[in-house]
Amino acid sequence: MTKIITTIALFVCSLLSAQGQFEQGMGKAFQLWGEGKNTEASDLFERIAGAEKTSWLPNYYVALVNTTTAFRTKDKEQMNLLLTKAQNSLDTEMGKNPNNAELLVMQAMIHTAWIAFDPMTNGQKLSGTVMELYGKAQAIAPENPRVVFGKAEFEIGGAKFWGTDTKPMCVQIEKAIGLFATFKPETPFSPKWGLERATAALKNCK
Amino acid sequence: MKPTIIQQPNHSNRTLKSIFTLAILLFSVTLFSQVTISGKVVDEKGKPVSGANIFIEGTYDGASSNETGSFSFTTTTIGNQTLVVSFLIFETSKTVIDVANFQNRTIKLRESVTSLDAVVITAGTLEAGDKARVSVLKPLDIVTTAGSAGNIIAALQTLPGTQTVGEDGRLFVRGGEANETQTFVDGIRVAQPYGATTNNLPTRGRFSPFLFSGISFSTGGYSAEYGEALSSVLLLNTQDEPDQNKTEIALMTVGLGLGNTQKWKKSSLSVNANYINLAPYQAVIPQNVDWNSPFQSLSGETVYRYNFNNGILKVYAAFDSSKFDINQENINSPEKIRVDLNNNNFYLNSSYKGVFGNNWQITSGLSYGYSNNKINLDSDKVANDENAAHLKLKLKKSFSDRLKLSFGADYFVTQFNEDFKENSGSVFTNGYDANIAAIYTEADIFFSKKWAAKIGVRASNNDLLNETAISPRVSFAYKMAKNSQFSFAYGDFTQTPNAEYIKYSKNHQFESEKASHYILNFQYNKNGKTFRAETYFKDYSNLVKFDTGMATFNSVYDNTGSGYAKGLDLFWRDGKSIKNLEYWVSYSYIDTERDYKNFSSQVTPSFVADHSLSIVTKYWINDWKSQIGFTNSYSSGRPYNNPNEAEFMNGKTKAYNSLSFNWAYLLSQQKILYFSVSNVLGSQNVFGYEYANNPDNAGFYNRKEIVPTADRFFFVGFFWTISNDKKDNQLKNL
Repeated sequence: MTKIITTIALFVCSLLSAQGQFEQGMGKAFQLWGEGKNTEASDLFERIAGAEKTSWLPNYYVALVNTTTAFRTKDKEQMNLLLTKAQNSLDTEMGKNPNNAELLVMQAMIHTAWIAFDPMTNGQKLSGTVMELYGKAQAIAPENPRVVFGKAEFEIGGAKFWGTDTKPMCVQIEKAIGLFATFKPETPFSPKWGLERATAALKNCK
Repeated sequence: MKPTIIQQPNHSNRTLKSIFTLAILLFSVTLFSQVTISGKVVDEKGKPVSGANIFIEGTYDGASSNETGSFSFTTTTIGNQTLVVSFLIFETSKTVIDVANFQNRTIKLRESVTSLDAVVITAGTLEAGDKARVSVLKPLDIVTTAGSAGNIIAALQTLPGTQTVGEDGRLFVRGGEANETQTFVDGIRVAQPYGATTNNLPTRGRFSPFLFSGISFSTGGYSAEYGEALSSVLLLNTQDEPDQNKTEIALMTVGLGLGNTQKWKKSSLSVNANYINLAPYQAVIPQNVDWNSPFQSLSGETVYRYNFNNGILKVYAAFDSSKFDINQENINSPEKIRVDLNNNNFYLNSSYKGVFGNNWQITSGLSYGYSNNKINLDSDKVANDENAAHLKLKLKKSFSDRLKLSFGADYFVTQFNEDFKENSGSVFTNGYDANIAAIYTEADIFFSKKWAAKIGVRASNNDLLNETAISPRVSFAYKMAKNSQFSFAYGDFTQTPNAEYIKYSKNHQFESEKASHYILNFQYNKNGKTFRAETYFKDYSNLVKFDTGMATFNSVYDNTGSGYAKGLDLFWRDGKSIKNLEYWVSYSYIDTERDYKNFSSQVTPSFVADHSLSIVTKYWINDWKSQIGFTNSYSSGRPYNNPNEAEFMNGKTKAYNSLSFNWAYLLSQQKILYFSVSNVLGSQNVFGYEYANNPDNAGFYNRKEIVPTADRFFFVGFFWTISNDKKDNQLKNL
């Protein structure tokens, strides 16, 4: 009896400490990211991903950190490295959860980064795929603000080029802002970003 | 280290006490056994690597290396642990270390041979596609190249190493005949890649470009995986996955097209159908030939794809039925000769590609092609049909990123039968039945990120010719600087002689024709600019010769022909220097002579021009929502034989030039208006001369020019895509 309880207690203890470790690690990674230490943040998320195979979040953030960095990069080689890394991490989680709306949005963002980098080559190739990803994400999570905003933002790019009306997309962005207010992330580390970008995009609408 | 045990007083329950003790013991172990791991990460040259991720496997303990390559972190693990060092462009290093004893160590990373800037064997190969690391063409180029009119073959003719043979339309590569190029779809042979035609009426490729995501065109020195091709292989790969559900409609001055794609969870289906009728075009543009009935064709293609967990199955089927009826002038008869042709073609290709076990890859598939021609030549009738099949199995094992071994087997079956029925009623039947079995093996070796080699050998047995051939293939690549590299390739190639000869194999014994290739390639790539220079030598032997004016059943055949080809191919592409402008320039110089067919001596054959130059430009005008393209193709004069002169093949035509123009206007996101015209300047091109078989009364052989069927081709089309997202369009189909 003693042994059993001891074992259980030990197990609980190690579990608790691991849980604490996850929170601590994720917190630390977010802190690094906040400080602009993108490589360090990405590396830490990657290490957490390696140790916590059951959570899709660490790899999601590896993809997010590297993709957002890639958007700001002009150098082709660097860009390639960042997006390849983002794609590899995302692929790991996509294989496990092919119907996770946040992961689908992430994939759409990686493609969008490629399009922004070379619209002539990649626009034709990836635009359809991006729209399909947003369509799929919207079917799964119609009230997810990042899905609604991401789709509207991508459509605005096309509408501006064609000189067509951007009003319907602006309405969607407004809707997304409303959704951000009510959106409840599942865990403290679940994605909740995007309100700032949506607010900025809405300003451009007016 | 001795763990501290804190006594908890006043606990009567022993069990609880011991739990706490243990828990605390655990924590204190954690607290007190922290050790530091430190060191430096360098590359193979000893240069520091910054940004590498160094950690103990399965834990959070780790750090990123700084600018000097140094790192330092603490870990709570004990004993032997796996230290992982990863950075994208390097091979991930994993070493078992004793955590208590790992300070100030240096870790050397090996460059990853799979990284984007690793050496690639490029000798002989011109790639187009998404996956290609060194691609000279983009998938869209096939269709947005002015003058290509959606014909894959015509777009490839703007690349170096090819000849523009305007009266034929097929691919002629580096002094080789058109049949020396073999076409493969998803690795499986296409026995009849071109539409049926008659003398001096150019044909085009059967395949619509939009089903293919990658094209690899090899002008020599290709892998042991491919056989039965003396000069070149054209590898077309169908898309793995279409992007979305859509319907496509095309209204053209030459016909109609309709396509639909449906996607499901694991599978997808694309279907398209086209009806082409050249009557409106022939009514507008003056024709150099006399049409009784215009070229018409009805064709359809379908691709079905199914994704398994570990692989993909693709089934591709194409059907094509075409006909035309013309009166052709002939120098040997005062009357025109009427040619009435009907062709039916069916092609089925199914392939499976997947992974299994420990880094094994399997590719297998089969193709079946059926072609049936009914040709009426005045009152003579020719009917032929060909059944061709290819079975393939290929296995590839990756031992590491640096060593891959593949081996496989091919089985080709070809049955050809032709009935020639003379007006008098007598029927001549010729044909052959050939089975070729082949096996091959090949190793891909990376010695480092700079040095790579591919070494293979192919053995094949042909039961019709009763012979076995062994063909070695070797290629090397060396990257001497960041953006430039050299490649070298050598290979022996064999091919069964042309159906025109071996259909008489009932009466004659033939042997395979042979060629050896030596290729030296230099490639430079930087920021959207590519320069490529390639020089080659090709040695032909065992070519078929015969002793009559035309190859007939009673000619005397032997395999004593031979020849050579050598030359220089240059290619330059730039899409970056001028905003919105993409252009490429190809130049080929060739020196080739052959003694084959019924040639009286070794000379340059009539399809070869010594100098060829193509310039292709594409300019995007944002305000007009338009892409405007020009293609100029030039080739120097081609030889012809003038029987009025003593020397064989002594004549030379004037140079050939054609300037083509196209304009794609995007009416809206999904509606495109497309306009194209070839030979804008109306150059009067002459491909060669046809001489009379017999001299006239004055002893002079009369001649007739071989000219294009029309000086210009023009095309107007409207393309409309209907999809849910309203984004996609058919620009890639044009």
